[in-house]
Amino acid sequence: MKILLIEDDREAATYLMQALDEAGHVAHHAADGETGFAMASGMDYDVLIIDRMLPRRDGISIIESLRAEDNRTPVLILSALGEVEDRVTGLRSGGDDYLAKPYAFSELLARVEVLARRASPAEAASVFQVGELTLDRLSREVTRGEQKISLQPREYRLLEFLMKYSGQVVTRTMLLENVWDYHFDPQTNVIDVHMSRLRAKIDRGHKTSLLQTIRGAGYMIRA
Amino acid sequence: MHNFLKLWRTTTVRLTALFIVMFVLFSLVLLGYVGFQSSIEIQRVQARDVFWEIRQLRNIDRQRGPRALAIAVQRLSNQPGRGIYYLGNPAGEMLAGNFRSIPSYILLEPGQYSFSYSPQRAFEGLRDPVEPNSPEALENSQRGQRDAQAVVRSIVLESGFRLVVGRDIVQRRDFTRIIVRTMMLGVIGIILLAAAAGILTARRVLARIDSINATTRQIMAGNMSERVPITKRDDEFDQLATGLNEMLDRIEMLMQGLKEVTDNVAHDLKTPLTRLRNMAEAALRDGSSNEDHKKVLEKTITESDRLISTFNALLLIARVEAGSHSDALKKVDVSRTVIDICDLYSPVVEDAGGTLVMDIEPDIYLNSNRELLSQALVNLLENAIKYSLGDDNKNSDNLDGNKISVGVKTAGGNVRISVCDGGPGIPASEGERVLQRFVRLEKSRTESGSGLGLALVAAVAKLHRGSFKVEDNPSRGTSKTPENPGVCAIISLPKTP
Repeated sequence: MKILLIEDDREAATYLMQALDEAGHVAHHAADGETGFAMASGMDYDVLIIDRMLPRRDGISIIESLRAEDNRTPVLILSALGEVEDRVTGLRSGGDDYLAKPYAFSELLARVEVLARRASPAEAASVFQVGELTLDRLSREVTRGEQKISLQPREYRLLEFLMKYSGQVVTRTMLLENVWDYHFDPQTNVIDVHMSRLRAKIDRGHKTSLLQTIRGAGYMIRA
Repeated sequence: MHNFLKLWRTTTVRLTALFIVMFVLFSLVLLGYVGFQSSIEIQRVQARDVFWEIRQLRNIDRQRGPRALAIAVQRLSNQPGRGIYYLGNPAGEMLAGNFRSIPSYILLEPGQYSFSYSPQRAFEGLRDPVEPNSPEALENSQRGQRDAQAVVRSIVLESGFRLVVGRDIVQRRDFTRIIVRTMMLGVIGIILLAAAAGILTARRVLARIDSINATTRQIMAGNMSERVPITKRDDEFDQLATGLNEMLDRIEMLMQGLKEVTDNVAHDLKTPLTRLRNMAEAALRDGSSNEDHKKVLEKTITESDRLISTFNALLLIARVEAGSHSDALKKVDVSRTVIDICDLYSPVVEDAGGTLVMDIEPDIYLNSNRELLSQALVNLLENAIKYSLGDDNKNSDNLDGNKISVGVKTAGGNVRISVCDGGPGIPASEGERVLQRFVRLEKSRTESGSGLGLALVAAVAKLHRGSFKVEDNPSRGTSKTPENPGVCAIISLPKTP
């Protein structure tokens, strides 16, 4: 995946570039807003990671200009401002996701990969399939093999989100944001409790476990 | 001079000055109008009088002869006032009257004339002498030789005599002048009074403003507890002072809060930071295996994550308390919000061996912030889970004691959101203290957590202009035990914030 990182903090940028490289992505770096905008509008990237506060041109204005040029590349905004209002301004300007600093790299990577996937048509599919697990978004029916699985509405949305990004790591914060629409960090293991319930319904009695816990990162569903 | 300038700059004095200028302009216009009108009126009356007198005199001449006419003219001449009379024969000799120096062209051609003359010469010996020191005499001498003005009508009678009747228009001018002078005096008087009143009022206003300024300077000098004095008059300045004082109270409170935060940050963030540093140092010094290093690094991440979340919580509390969210309050379905959080947490409660009971009145709407309200509820629920279902406190054989009940109901004008548990509770003496930042009761010192949970709940309640309190759980009834009396955390939000 080809990623552009626009970030003025040299140390953070070096670390991120290296980590993205290790994760198997091609990453370019721009250290200020003007350069970043020129690169973003001149080349094709799969995902842009844009810091909100940048020298010469702030992140929000870069995104607005890109969107005005009809550039639809998914954008992940990085910011020290983590309040809900800041998030709303960021997303309203055309950003696709918002990550407050400080963040864990696993969180950033998971979000970037999900963002890149967003543009693909698979996301809009009406049936999600992972191994023998099927989720029909029209009838809202979930089956594994021949066996029908009955889920609570919230469990259904949880599974739907996981299957939409099957094969990719989904973090706890992403789940809390997308399934429950909360933007805070719970102190306890709320998400884990819900996941273990969902896993009990999906994987019980089967040899292969589809729902996997990725240590230090989150969850992933895959065949 | 400085004081005068200061006074001049006050609004009151400027307004007064403006009014005075307007008043003078208005008075001048009025004066001019009155003077002009009265002069016209006098002219009209004089012309009419002259006309009547001539008619009468002509009648006398016609009916009773020239002799009677001369007597009548003489009688009129001797009346006080400024009437001008002249009766002469065709040869130009004066027979009766009080005016000697009628220009000859007037006598030759009948008609209406206006001419100037010298009063001293014209009336000499024909009129009562003017008192030497009277205003009239003074005026006459001032006016000089040929300054009087007469308007006369001359006719030729049937007998051939020349009759001239007229008026001195000085009288007319004098009248106008008196009116103008009186009004001028009035205007000057009013100007002086208004100026005095303006200055007095301005000084009073200045005194009040000065007292407010003195207070603000004191406060700027660092004396935050200073307040603007309020009089008993309850006037607009007192209202201003009250408003200012309320603002100062708020600012003082915020500053107090800020100070607390910095103190707390210093204490509660430095401790874990030191721990972090020591850990890293120890790992370096020991020169131990890669495996050990990895363990220390993992601990470092956990520790810094906890630091970050403490820091976030602190920032959030500070921002909520500063009221920076109060403009983001929107209509929120409180019932739905609480139910959603209960949905999120009921599996957690069940896994911890308890039950979550909901008693939620539906469709309660409030101007609120869903995110903050949810966060507050999460804090309360996590507290309830930690303290009433934790390993130490679990009422293993007492089902009722492992119940966490969440309620939403309207009572009076308030919406009451409560989270009750069967845990060890909080001693009444500590009820207030636990709402402060970083306060953790002795018993719970060892538990995880930042000690910021309830402080945030209190801040969120205050943001909604509501209140937050912690009290004994009243519904525990018979299952109540001395060790575990249970506790209710109650957020009370006014329906119309």
